Amino acid sequence: MWRLYKRQEAMTKNHYATMRRTLLGVMILVPIIPFIMILAVGYYYFATSLETSTVATMKRIVEDHRQMIDSFLEERKADLDFILHIYHYGDLAEPGNLYDVFEQLQKESQAFVDLGVFNEEGIHVTYQGPYKLIGRDYSQETWFTQVLKEGCYISDIFLGFRRVPHFVIALAKEEAGRKWVLRATIDTYMFNGLVEKVRIGQTGEAYLLNSKGIFQTERRSGGNLIDKDPEKIEFPASGGIKTFISEDIRGDAFLYATTWLKNKKWLLVVRQQKSDAFGALRSAIYLTLLVTLLGGGAIIGTAFYLTDRIVGRMEKMDEDREQLSGQLIRASRLAELGEMAAGFAHEINNPIQIIKNEQALMEVNLTELKEAGEIEESTPLEELEDSLHQISLQISRCAQITQAILKFGRQTEPVSRDVDLREFIPEVTSMVANKASVHGIDLKQQVAEGTPPIHGDPGQLQQVLLNLFNNAIDAILARHGPQGGELVVGAGAKEDGKVKIFVSDNGTGIGPEDQKKIFSPFYTTKPVGKGTGLGLSVCFGIIGKMGGTMEVTGEENVGTTFTITLPRAA
Amino acid sequence: MEELRMMLVDDEERFLSTTKKLLAKRGYDVVTATNGSEALELLRIQNIHVVVLDVKMPGMDGIETLKAIKRSFPLVEVIMLTGHATVESAVDGLKSGATDYLMKPTDVNDLIEKVEEAFSKRQVLESRIRVAQTRSFMKSPRDIIRESEET
Repeated sequence: MWRLYKRQEAMTKNHYATMRRTLLGVMILVPIIPFIMILAVGYYYFATSLETSTVATMKRIVEDHRQMIDSFLEERKADLDFILHIYHYGDLAEPGNLYDVFEQLQKESQAFVDLGVFNEEGIHVTYQGPYKLIGRDYSQETWFTQVLKEGCYISDIFLGFRRVPHFVIALAKEEAGRKWVLRATIDTYMFNGLVEKVRIGQTGEAYLLNSKGIFQTERRSGGNLIDKDPEKIEFPASGGIKTFISEDIRGDAFLYATTWLKNKKWLLVVRQQKSDAFGALRSAIYLTLLVTLLGGGAIIGTAFYLTDRIVGRMEKMDEDREQLSGQLIRASRLAELGEMAAGFAHEINNPIQIIKNEQALMEVNLTELKEAGEIEESTPLEELEDSLHQISLQISRCAQITQAILKFGRQTEPVSRDVDLREFIPEVTSMVANKASVHGIDLKQQVAEGTPPIHGDPGQLQQVLLNLFNNAIDAILARHGPQGGELVVGAGAKEDGKVKIFVSDNGTGIGPEDQKKIFSPFYTTKPVGKGTGLGLSVCFGIIGKMGGTMEVTGEENVGTTFTITLPRAA
Repeated sequence: MEELRMMLVDDEERFLSTTKKLLAKRGYDVVTATNGSEALELLRIQNIHVVVLDVKMPGMDGIETLKAIKRSFPLVEVIMLTGHATVESAVDGLKSGATDYLMKPTDVNDLIEKVEEAFSKRQVLESRIRVAQTRSFMKSPRDIIRESEET
């Protein structure tokens, strides 16, 4: 039987565990899935738009920069072209004239380092500049051969005779069947500055490479003139800006934007470390993760908490319901018992009647025998007579008990009449007198002489008093055991003319919390199976219908007093 | 003055026999019956003044028996013996014509007291009947003779 109960308990526990899991699952998944989806979608769009805008910015920067560099080269070419058109070879072959021209040129732009004139054979005829280059033969130099061919040439960076990295702009002109070349050197340092000066984030840099990948300007992060660019980047086929991501030799990823210059086959490379370029993305990732963790944590936490609350509440409700149904069953069983008791009392009355009669007959016969002299006085005879007398008494007692039960079990309409408490209370008290004395409880009655009568159904009043008596006896027994209990019942008039009845005991007492709830239906402090919790609430109702009130006072481990206040009978 | 003759009706035999003995010792003549039909039978045969009737009996129950007695033998006084302790059955009984009621378990003395009361009531009734009858006799000797000649 116990095993069956345990299995039922286990089944119930399983039931709650399953419910809990289901609830938890739903409460976590239902919010988290959209939450994560939203975060993912948001992040994706953000990332995409960030990338797009970063790349777009890069492209713009590259374009602007390229234009600037191209303009610079254009202008320098134009400056030289101007000179070429104004002056003849013969003019510039004079060193003094060249000096003036050069001065003018430098006013145009500080970028010109020197200026030189070359004849068709490649000899440096006149020169203005810091280097000793007059008379040198440049006929084998690439730039010279190229400029004669094309009329205009911008060179790559080269060392030349001066053994210093530089590049030149050269223009060739034909006069009177002979060609001559005007050449100017561009200030490398200044040009470098021009190219290099671009601010893009923390790691952004710009530099020029020639078609063979040789640095034409210095790269801020490491790369000297004339060195080959160690990073192997793809050279775009033709015009237009190309953007791509590539890793350098150190393994760092860079965002590149490259474009060819228009005036010279140089590749303008602008690059920025990927982490720098997409730095906002990194913080976005962190932020998203943080939000995910916090949000997810909040969702999960709330889910657990709510599930706990809900399942707990359901458990409690189920418990309460079971308790209630248990109490209902007990209450109905008690009602049945009550009816059984009534039936029992009926049945008992017959044998009791017979015993009573037999006892009467015995007494009569004994008297006859004594009067006829058939038996003599003796101790056994005395004892016999005494026993007969006792039987008579006990029969009366039985009769009283059954009368009390039957009166109590009556289910008739309450019949109100005036009740004199001075007679009524002793009558009811006598019903528990024996029980009290058996348990060593001192039963006192304090019904005042001038107690006014009250109006009500004596049966119901009896029910109330018996209930209070029984509760008091239980409380006393719980505290005192077989001795030392005290139960006082009394009545009297109050100052306001009402009648008060009280039942006082020195039992275990009732705590303040319980005192508040004690008249509620189904409230009991007795263990399961002992007491339905119905008694006091019914009593409270009965007294209420009579137009009175019921109160409880007392302290734990001191005692309890129930006080009934009723209006006096009119 | 007639001597009181009473009948006890109850389904418990032992109760009948012992109570009969007790009453005999007090000088009463008692007839007993264990059920309603037996009681009615006995009433037809014998002249009984007071019947003490148990309310709860198997077969023909107390109230039914009471009503039957009152129908057939209206002058018989009936005292209900109720173990119910419910006022209803006593009230029912009184309404149906019982003279009085006793609650089980009764004391023999209480029983005798009530029976005597019922008997004296019966006697008063009987004397009134006789007076009424005598009055009707006292109308005129000629009427009496005529009546006696007619019957």
